[in-house]
Amino acid sequence: MSLNAFWDFLVLGVVLGCLYAVIAIGYTLVYGVLQLLNFAHSEVFMFGGFGGLMALTVWAPAPDPSGAQSVLYVVVGMLAGAAFGGVVAYGLEKVAYRPLRRHKAPRLVFLITAIGASFFLYNLAGKLFGRNSLSMPDMYENKRVFSFFGAELSVTMILIVVSAVGMMIGLDYVVNRTKLGSSIRAVAQDPEVASLMGVNIDKVVSRTFVIGGLLGGAAGFLFGVNNKVVYTMGFLPGITAFAAAVLGGIGNVRGAMLGGMLLGIVETLTVYFWGEEWRYVAGFAVLVVVLMFRPTGLLGERLGRTA
Amino acid sequence: MLNKTFVKLAAPLAISALALTGCGSDSGGGGDTIKIAFQGPLSGDNVQLGTNMENGIKLAIDQANASGDYDFEIEYFPTDDQGQPDKATAAAQKAIDEGVIAVIGPAFSGPADTAAEVYAEAGIPAVSSSATRPDLTTKGYESFLRAVPNDSAQGAGMAKYFDQATDAEKVVVVDDKTDYGVGLADVAEKELTAAGIEVVRQSVPQKTPDYSAAARSVVGQKADGLIYAGYYEDAGPFATKLAEAGFEGTTMSGDGTNDMGFVKLAGDAANGWKLTCPCTDPTQEDATKAFADDYQAEFNQAPGTYSAESYDVAQMIIAQIAETGGAESDSEKLLESLRGVEYKGLTKTFSFDDKGEFKNQTIYMYEVQDEKIGYVGNIDELAAE
Repeated sequence: MSLNAFWDFLVLGVVLGCLYAVIAIGYTLVYGVLQLLNFAHSEVFMFGGFGGLMALTVWAPAPDPSGAQSVLYVVVGMLAGAAFGGVVAYGLEKVAYRPLRRHKAPRLVFLITAIGASFFLYNLAGKLFGRNSLSMPDMYENKRVFSFFGAELSVTMILIVVSAVGMMIGLDYVVNRTKLGSSIRAVAQDPEVASLMGVNIDKVVSRTFVIGGLLGGAAGFLFGVNNKVVYTMGFLPGITAFAAAVLGGIGNVRGAMLGGMLLGIVETLTVYFWGEEWRYVAGFAVLVVVLMFRPTGLLGERLGRTA
Repeated sequence: MLNKTFVKLAAPLAISALALTGCGSDSGGGGDTIKIAFQGPLSGDNVQLGTNMENGIKLAIDQANASGDYDFEIEYFPTDDQGQPDKATAAAQKAIDEGVIAVIGPAFSGPADTAAEVYAEAGIPAVSSSATRPDLTTKGYESFLRAVPNDSAQGAGMAKYFDQATDAEKVVVVDDKTDYGVGLADVAEKELTAAGIEVVRQSVPQKTPDYSAAARSVVGQKADGLIYAGYYEDAGPFATKLAEAGFEGTTMSGDGTNDMGFVKLAGDAANGWKLTCPCTDPTQEDATKAFADDYQAEFNQAPGTYSAESYDVAQMIIAQIAETGGAESDSEKLLESLRGVEYKGLTKTFSFDDKGEFKNQTIYMYEVQDEKIGYVGNIDELAAE
């Protein structure tokens, strides 16, 4: 195939990478403050997809919406997804992890709880929402295709990239420039000293979960638009995004963004060169190779610092 | 006097009546209740296909019990394998432990392959109305009968259609890496090649989270047609992404996609997809109209893929139980009788060759139009036109 096709795939890879990056941030933030691998984050993501779908089912989009209506539908869906994700993440921290922290449970217990919470949440979703795959209602005319230096872009692709980049910039600002961000970084660097300095650790941890949940939920909505919504949808993207967080250096927010982007591109180009069944082989091979030479990930595990 | 005669006459009657009712309640406690199992996906991703069949079977059993034609009661026993091969053995064992006389299913090919052995050991006839992978009948599973044309017939039908009803010169065949998908794609590829059509084979594993890249690579092949061998859960997003990527060739898929779930997922991107199936449309053919109405009344939805076929298989089994002694029948006698059966159901005539393969191999064509799956007709007749 031609250079043109390669460029097409590269653009698709960036779109997928944007999704992975936003999910990966949720893993990395929580790891930063708690050194906890929150495997249930993939379920937060899944609930975000259902949240968006529910909002748009209750308030069904009109057929042939105008431009302004389309924007409104997308915004409502994404906010609902983010809200769902945030609520689930908040509940998760309150119910599953906080009691463990209070009792100073060993690290392994946290990990097992995370896996258990993940199983619980996705089976709960299967019970609540049914086990059939569902698709998002049409919110806009997706036929229109823009040309971007030869690569064809659909409305969905543009929606994903614009909103994901927006979220990443916003998050970077929050972590680096706000008071909440500096308290998150303080807790990540040294929880004891942070608490001596008057930082309320419980509050910071809780807010960190919510921020990760908001982003994960919004990503779940975008993912549902791009593919479908089903109670098992969290698993594969969740694992990949976790790998992305490790690839970029877990605990490092910009690392997670870089890792997600890289994995999305590698996976999609793998489909171009070798076919769909090699997607995860290549993605995880990159992870292994990078960790062999840089065990702390591309940008390093700089807990509490973001660049 | 009158009283005496009355007693004389009445006493034996009363006694025999007592004996009769006693007999009835005795065996009613266990003897003449016969259990028929259904093994298929009753939860998990492909639950819709399982529900279609389950409802057909339930309807057949309810009607048989209500008809009063039989001296035994049929009890339905569902056993769930989620359509997964690794859950199939346990599901089969559950049915065997329950003491069922026969099982309808396993519904999917992968589970059928792992469970058929278990049923064979227990000597319980397993009659699948939907497991279509060709090699299931060549492995010597002794109690497995296939009551549906296999994928060779379906793949051959697809190839025949592309060869004779379209001008396609290059077709992309995509499988989903499942037993069913690979089996169907293999046959389609072979038959298309034999017909002189260039084939590009690709695999897109089930549950791929992003179909954009796969769709883009199909478009990049510049082919005139596409065959997707897989289930509707993945065909839905794939169809959406193909439309988005601007694929304009003829798109076709098999019975795994022939479900309204596909149309719901893909929306208007599903329009124009041609779907083959060994199944007829019960709402279209005269013979099955009454069935479709009963089904609608009972379950408040139209019958789906394989509903009517499963109904037929259940009725066939019940009829053969009656034939082999009703309450006295057992799995061995039933299997023997099923092997030689020539049963005329609503959808087709059921008979099996010595390997348990279905004798009648007709394939039907459907097409999605205006977000509905419309029945087109017999594929042999369509290709000949």
